[in-house]
Amino acid sequence: MPLVSAMAASHAPNILLEPGAEWEDFMDLHYSMAPQGSGSRPTLEQQKKLRRDAEAAFTALRTDLEEAKPDVLIVVANDQFVNFFWNNIPTFFVTLADEVHGQFTRHNFHYRNHKELGWEIVRAGMERGIDFSFGEHIELQHTQNVPLYFLLPEPKIPILPIYVNTWVDPAPTPKRCYQVGELIREVAVKSPDRVAILATGGLSHFPGSPRIGEIDTRFDHKLLEVMRQGQGPSLADYSVDELLKAGDTEFLNWMVVVGTVGNAKATYTCYMPDFVATGWGFVSWRLC
Amino acid sequence: MSCYHLSRLLFDLKMNESCYQRALADFEELIGDYELTDIEKDALRSGDPRKLRQLGVHGMLCLYIKRLNPAFRNNIYWAQK
Repeated sequence: MPLVSAMAASHAPNILLEPGAEWEDFMDLHYSMAPQGSGSRPTLEQQKKLRRDAEAAFTALRTDLEEAKPDVLIVVANDQFVNFFWNNIPTFFVTLADEVHGQFTRHNFHYRNHKELGWEIVRAGMERGIDFSFGEHIELQHTQNVPLYFLLPEPKIPILPIYVNTWVDPAPTPKRCYQVGELIREVAVKSPDRVAILATGGLSHFPGSPRIGEIDTRFDHKLLEVMRQGQGPSLADYSVDELLKAGDTEFLNWMVVVGTVGNAKATYTCYMPDFVATGWGFVSWRLC
Repeated sequence: MSCYHLSRLLFDLKMNESCYQRALADFEELIGDYELTDIEKDALRSGDPRKLRQLGVHGMLCLYIKRLNPAFRNNIYWAQK
């Protein structure tokens, strides 16, 4: 049946870290790479407000997700040297494990994995000329755990992690990510399950770079406006270099979800720069 | 020039607890197990992620040299991946 819910949300670790000492640790470490970035260091009150605002945004997404009554949640995210290293970097990877685990500070995550849906996506891709990598073991990391903490705190339904290479050059084009999304939509339509999909990451940030602390809020607002207008297909015209320049390579994860919704208008958007490193973005498309 | 082995050491520091413990116990012995140039070894000894980045190491891996710095050893960042 048609996709029942589509969402996108940032996965910045400090969304889930506690305001105060944990945020200070996080900032100390990152600013050691780029001392100039510390100029905008948020106060404790600002940190608390960001956490409250992010929780409110996640609550809006979670309400849409639960009302859609999904049987499975596909999670499109990027690795960051946890499962993949330079001995093998997959451009697109589908998880075919029975279960998936991960940890984020004191929070443990454990979900069933919907490998049957994963197989269908891999097989359909082979027919359509999109040759996914696949494997039977992955470890969940912050790119999945941060949004899952808020959106699927109880493992009531299985998930299906799909990875996009957004973090190592060369990354796939936005157009190719959009095509992967179109493929997933076709597989979902044929599935007996109610399929929901979530993209994570972004928006503008420069992890591990001397540009840490820069956030291209103008570019981020433009992306969100296009999604609100239902002009998502036009985003496939961006080049990877344009996304890279704006610190938005993780938007490639979002492009997969944009490919699943096509011209549907985003029904909820929220945006807040965290004054540390990242423009936090949240989007929902109510599809049923 | 590839910095595969230098990157691999930093990846192992992140993902392999026994590698991290070996680094704390005897860093020179550990880096002797990797195919590294003298410049790469000096960058590691400096403990400065910016020097590693200058050698071509991905920024997400550079940070992991900080796990060995006493001031950052208990940083919350290492409690997540």
